[in-house]
Amino acid sequence: MIKINHLRKEYANITPLKDVNVHIHKGDVISIIGPSGTGKSTLIRCINMLETPTSGSIFVGNECITDKKCNINKIRQKMGMVFQSFNLFNHMNIIENIMAAPMDLLGKSKQDAYDEGMELLRTVGLADKAFNYPDELSGGQKQRVAIARALAMEPEIILLDEPTSALDPTMVGEVQAVIKDLAKKGLTLMIVTHEMHFAREIANRVFYMDEGGVYEDGTPEEIFDNPKREKTIRFIKHLKVFENLITSKDFDFIGFNTSLEEFGRRNQVPQKTIYRAQSVFEELGVQCILPKLDKEFRLNVAFEYSQEEETLSMSMKYDGEHFDVRETPNIISFAIAENASKSIEYAEIQEDGFTNLVTVKIK
Amino acid sequence: MTIEKNLNGTELTVAIVGRLDTATAPDMEEVLKESFEGITKLILDFEGLEYLSSAGLRVILQAQKIMNKQGEMIIKNVNKTINEIFEVTGFVDILTIE
Repeated sequence: MIKINHLRKEYANITPLKDVNVHIHKGDVISIIGPSGTGKSTLIRCINMLETPTSGSIFVGNECITDKKCNINKIRQKMGMVFQSFNLFNHMNIIENIMAAPMDLLGKSKQDAYDEGMELLRTVGLADKAFNYPDELSGGQKQRVAIARALAMEPEIILLDEPTSALDPTMVGEVQAVIKDLAKKGLTLMIVTHEMHFAREIANRVFYMDEGGVYEDGTPEEIFDNPKREKTIRFIKHLKVFENLITSKDFDFIGFNTSLEEFGRRNQVPQKTIYRAQSVFEELGVQCILPKLDKEFRLNVAFEYSQEEETLSMSMKYDGEHFDVRETPNIISFAIAENASKSIEYAEIQEDGFTNLVTVKIK
Repeated sequence: MTIEKNLNGTELTVAIVGRLDTATAPDMEEVLKESFEGITKLILDFEGLEYLSSAGLRVILQAQKIMNKQGEMIIKNVNKTINEIFEVTGFVDILTIE
């Protein structure tokens, strides 16, 4: 239904989308999740050309909408868009808001637009508000109207850009219920959302966006229960990350420890756990691994703290010959590190030039 | 880390506050090196020691070796975390911890 190839969107100072390649099938309900600033909204705004892509192509059916010759207004009629901030016309009452586009763009008669508009208002539970003005409605009600208005154009796909994030928490449920109904009716939906429970419940596909693209694409079970890629795992498990790349044996050891302590304090990691983490890094990283590395090397150290599980883990990736740190001759350092850890594991890897991986669960 | 020395005849007390690790162990080594002469009893007071790594242990071990030749060395006021490090590394058997 929609094919996106090598989509790129650059702004003056930032490139939220670097290379997006996805196919969206008819009837797909796709939740788009990911950290702020990873291009989620930019992606759906590019799909209906509210943003002009810098390069790449988007096909809707057989039409290339990124082609300058394409009649985008015609394509937009097939796509409803629901914004975070509702975007209703405040000078029109609710039913007029819904009737306007079908009359202007689809050439519907006033009576037909009215009848269908009222039917849609009934669907979203707001028939009794037809003659009220937007200012008289709550945020949740306004968003339900915005959805009804999008539906009035009989779209094949609806794009929803954080539809509940501007709402009072008490109103989120009513809007989500309306969106769930749409999903059941077989409409193709793409929803940018920060609400993970909703994202999981509603979708048959989830896009996790990061690094300028759809970083991981899978079923809700795959993304939420068994994410495969590093950044997805960190996001799903709410991991707080402290990462540092060391490339010199004279690196700033005191600065590293200070930053690690600040990271711990910021994320409410118990002081004892921070000491243990520093101990494991110093004994394994500084005392055992660093002396083994070549003159030019890369040692990537990452600490991940799960606030939910209150667990801290550390990974160290390094290049050079395979060296299993558990076989170090430095038994004193290893004994100290082992005492501060629940487990110390080692694997040979081939990843971004790194050849060794040590993972430690801090006690 | 701060190091405070207190000399009483031939008895030297060295109190360490803060961290004894890769970054600070050389300072501790330097302070001890210039203080051994004529000392028959060295007391390391660890009441303020928050963190100890293998780099610090090496300095302590060196001091123990020197004091074995010229008198005795005692470590006092060791907290639970630091004592754990002495235990897992077997240093409890080498050092005199009060």
